[in-house]
Amino acid sequence: AGGGRMIERLRKWYYNAAGFNKLGLMRDDTLHEDDDVKEALKRLPEHLYNARVFRIKRALDLSLKHQILPKDQWVKYEEDHHYLEPYLKEVIRERHEREAWNKK
Amino acid sequence: KRFYSLKVAPKVAASATAAKVKLSPESQDLEITKLPNGLVIASLENFSPTSRIGVFIKTGSRYETTSNLGTAHLLRLASNLTTKGASSFRITRGIEAVGGSLSVHATREKMAYSVECLRDYVDTVMEYLLNVTTAPEFRPWEVADLQPKLKVDKAIAFQNPQVGVLENLHAAAYKNALANPLYCPDYRVGKITSEQLHHFVQNNFTSSRMALIGIGIKHSTLKHVAEQFLNIRSGAGAPGAKAVYRGGEIRKQTGDSLVHAAIVTEGAAVGSTEANAFSVLQYVLGAGPLVKRGSNVTSKLTQGVAKATSQPFDVSAFNVNYSDSGLFGIYTISQAANAGEVIKAALNQVKAVAQGGVTDADVTTAKNQLKANYLMSVETSKGLLNEIGSESLVSGTHTSPSAAAQKIDSVATADVVNAAKKFISGKKSMAAAGNLGHTPFLDEL
Repeated sequence: AGGGRMIERLRKWYYNAAGFNKLGLMRDDTLHEDDDVKEALKRLPEHLYNARVFRIKRALDLSLKHQILPKDQWVKYEEDHHYLEPYLKEVIRERHEREAWNKK
Repeated sequence: KRFYSLKVAPKVAASATAAKVKLSPESQDLEITKLPNGLVIASLENFSPTSRIGVFIKTGSRYETTSNLGTAHLLRLASNLTTKGASSFRITRGIEAVGGSLSVHATREKMAYSVECLRDYVDTVMEYLLNVTTAPEFRPWEVADLQPKLKVDKAIAFQNPQVGVLENLHAAAYKNALANPLYCPDYRVGKITSEQLHHFVQNNFTSSRMALIGIGIKHSTLKHVAEQFLNIRSGAGAPGAKAVYRGGEIRKQTGDSLVHAAIVTEGAAVGSTEANAFSVLQYVLGAGPLVKRGSNVTSKLTQGVAKATSQPFDVSAFNVNYSDSGLFGIYTISQAANAGEVIKAALNQVKAVAQGGVTDADVTTAKNQLKANYLMSVETSKGLLNEIGSESLVSGTHTSPSAAAQKIDSVATADVVNAAKKFISGKKSMAAAGNLGHTPFLDEL
């Protein structure tokens, strides 16, 4: 029980230390776009995709100006939704299935 | 008329039925059961090395409304999409791996999903078949990727001018339901959503409107499968509208040198007392050549039109039966310049029959042709499956070929004459395509 809460605090500290939340980005916005991620992005519903594009655009603009968002607009650890995760998991599962079949 | 649709995997050639040796106590007759939830199960154990199983559903383009036209067409193409139990990849590879095939075949009133495979692998393909018919997921991206196929499917089908004429014929003849096109209208391509597909399946793929048919499989196996897996949706689903015949005319000017024209009146519904009379009349008048490149001597229509023109032509009687209506008439293909003579000569032939110009010998010949055609169509396992499935959906029973032949024999010459009279006096519908400069309108006939 105590161990679980410790890890949670560590996670939160690491998240804030990473700093992308200060640019208004969520974790899934920062994923490296390999083939699986690209396929998962194709499957995102439109509103999620538009929100992602907006956040990335805003972050690019801030980075170009060497600024960050005011503290009240930073993404909070609790509010960071891993929106791409279900789609990405499915894409990876399908790829594994294909590879398993092709090996046979 | 039947229109084929996308095949997912290569087919294995069906082998001949094993010799008639009493190998086991299994019945060699057709067994048919109706479950309490309305599902009809029929099976015929013919000891063949291949099995063919079909799920027949009483749905089709007639159950669409103006807001979701084309859904049935996309559904036809969507049989290999991901389901709750298997991904699209797995369905395709799984069926291929056992050498089976899955195909969908849909008419205006029924859809048939059928799998065929070697007998040993029935369990595997059955699993995929049940997944496809009861638990499709219609993932939005897969549905979106499928929409261009609508265009390809339509283009391939419409290469044949008859398809266009028959679509127009139904649109002209009916106000609703049966007027819906079998192929997705152009404006709907790209606009059919996953929700509409789901909605269609939820409302139409219900147990009481389905039939599970198997050839080359034990009845007990089918029954077990049906009770376990095909119980998903009960109830009657959304009722279809009753088809209302209106009698109209649609002409499509294309500039083709051959004019295709169909003129019909309301015919008989499936299973009604006049259905067989109309079928016999169809063969009396001529339902297509029996000897390739022959002179079609037994066809009254061909002989009649041959006296009116020396240009190449083709004419046959057209007859189709639906569950609550039907269409009967003539279908002509003629050169653009003498389309009028051909059509008028064909109609005069039918008038001659209506005035009693048909002998008992003609009727007997027609009956024999009709019986032969029917019996030959149920000789293949595919034709037989289709026949059993259609009948199970309509009545939940099965008419043996000999009983069907008897019914055909019981049609009297007077019935045939009455059917012809009905055509002459009924409100007509017409559809024509080609260079229509010399093609008469309905009111000029």
